[in-house]
Amino acid sequence: MSPFFFWFFSAMMLVFGAAVIINRNPIASALSLVVSFVGLAALFMTLDAFFIGIIQVLVYAGAVMVLFLFIIMLLDLRAEERRKINLVAFGGGLAVALVFFGQLYLVIGQLRQAKQPFPPLALPRVDDVRSVGLLLFGNYNLPFQIIAVLILVATIGVIVLSKRELR
Amino acid sequence: MIPTPALEIIVLVWGLILLLAEAFTPKIDKRVFAFAGIFGLAAVLLGSFFLAPGAPIASTGFWSFYTADPLAIFFKRFALVTTIFVLIMAIDYAPTIRMGVPGAEPHAGLGEFFALPIFTCAGLMWMASAIDFVMIFVSLELVTMSFYVLVTFTRRNPATLEAGVKYLILSALSTGFLVYGITWIFGVTGETNLARIGLALTTNDFDQVPLLFGLLLVLVALGFKIAAVPFQIWVPDVYQGAPTPVTAFLSVGSKAAGFVVLLRVLTPFLILPQVGKVLVAMAALTLLYGNFAALPQTNLKRLLAYSSIAHAGYLLVGVASFSGTAVAFYLVGYLLMTLLCFAVLIVVAAHGGEQIENYAGLAKRSPFLAGAMLVGMLSLAGVPFTAGFLGKFYVFDAAVQQRQTVLLVIGVITVGCGFYYYLKVVRAMFWLEPPNDSPTIRVSVLSRGAMILLIAGIFVFGVYPQPILRALEARPATSTAATR
Repeated sequence: MSPFFFWFFSAMMLVFGAAVIINRNPIASALSLVVSFVGLAALFMTLDAFFIGIIQVLVYAGAVMVLFLFIIMLLDLRAEERRKINLVAFGGGLAVALVFFGQLYLVIGQLRQAKQPFPPLALPRVDDVRSVGLLLFGNYNLPFQIIAVLILVATIGVIVLSKRELR
Repeated sequence: MIPTPALEIIVLVWGLILLLAEAFTPKIDKRVFAFAGIFGLAAVLLGSFFLAPGAPIASTGFWSFYTADPLAIFFKRFALVTTIFVLIMAIDYAPTIRMGVPGAEPHAGLGEFFALPIFTCAGLMWMASAIDFVMIFVSLELVTMSFYVLVTFTRRNPATLEAGVKYLILSALSTGFLVYGITWIFGVTGETNLARIGLALTTNDFDQVPLLFGLLLVLVALGFKIAAVPFQIWVPDVYQGAPTPVTAFLSVGSKAAGFVVLLRVLTPFLILPQVGKVLVAMAALTLLYGNFAALPQTNLKRLLAYSSIAHAGYLLVGVASFSGTAVAFYLVGYLLMTLLCFAVLIVVAAHGGEQIENYAGLAKRSPFLAGAMLVGMLSLAGVPFTAGFLGKFYVFDAAVQQRQTVLLVIGVITVGCGFYYYLKVVRAMFWLEPPNDSPTIRVSVLSRGAMILLIAGIFVFGVYPQPILRALEARPATSTAATR
């Protein structure tokens, strides 16, 4: 992977990720999130994980975010008013983030793998989709099935918590 | 003989059946489904005593994620018992739920409130068996997701809504820490299976600092689940705002599952000396914070929230002393006494409030409830001949054997604190006069039966702990039954 692409797409993700929070207009926030997701998809591509990259674009940047935008527009949300920044909270948050960042920097310095170049990937014998499917329905079948239960519970939850009149 | 994985599947299918039956029978009394749920879980609990021995840990496939060792089976039963009692409490609590849920029909929303704990129970049971980080993550998320819904269930009550939002945001944050920590551990060892991580750590050929960093992040997430300091900020507000049966479920089920995962996750890492120091620090802080912050509380639900933090401290002393048996026994005592207190709280709160002053003269208004609360409070404080005392005894015994002097000193001091704030409730019940217009309190037969069972459990395990200790021994009771 070319380091240029890594830095470019990482910077894109971070800048637009920050824009999601800084923007007070919900539509601008949602669109920034789309761009951030596209950057993430590109990072997956540069790591040779083409399937995950494409799914990231299709599902997250495409379907989920379009749904988000629809709902935001239907709800007719106004841009949030600019609040005064609470200096203590801002300073505290900044300090925590900086300490965490510094720690991360030191820890990465200790990681042996971080100092080596990427080993070349073995050429896959089957295509991406098939190998993901084989793993999910083979070795990882149990966690995969539990995720199905999780989604069922989430669906029940959404209905219970959002329906105007329960029966 | 039933294969162990069938237990979760039966629980899950039973939950689905109840949910569907509820959708197709709009006219009947929804409390039927709570009884059906209790019946189903009790049947599974009975079935858990007739298990076929599980397969040994495999390198791939089902048995590399799932184990049926005695600890797992023990905590599966623990989850089932907890859920049964939570459903019993939910029946008593139904009128309050009904008020907090929008809808015109007389039983609106109750069906889901009775069905969701069954799914949570399946998640707790999977957590008890999880021996792979992937499995830990998905089962933990299943439990957390259902708690998001349960905590926010009575959404017309603003306090509940606030509790739900706080729980959602902080819990999602802690999940982020968990996943990030798992990636670091995977990055260093190349494994997600805990047994194989243990193997990788014995080779001495790994980067220690990144590994510890990953473990620390995982500890943050688990510390959130078990309400250990400094990740306890959410506990008082969420416990106070959530519907009371859900609070009981959170403080017993969620915490116990958190501890079993903590025990499993820490096992391969115990060869690193730094891990013990972190645990000792967490235990000491949790003991001090939980007990001292409980002292000035006037709301009983909030008091029990701080008491739940304090008990997480005693449990962490057990973890820091590497005694899984002490932790498991303490959790059994904790289950009995906490559920008892919440059961009394629900009945009394329906006739008054959750403040300690509402308990004034309870001994005259309902001697049975006052007696039950007295047993619960004495056991929480750790009076001899109760399960609470024996639990503390085992934990401190383990600490003595590991020479954890600091923890012992702090533990003994904080137990003294505990006596003060638990007995404050006892004083209100027995020494203060009831307000003049106070009505007598009626207890339903089902709750009365459940409370008597819990009281009996507290005294039986307070003097005769052997059944629990035996269930935790290396050979599962099921395999002895099979060879007989």
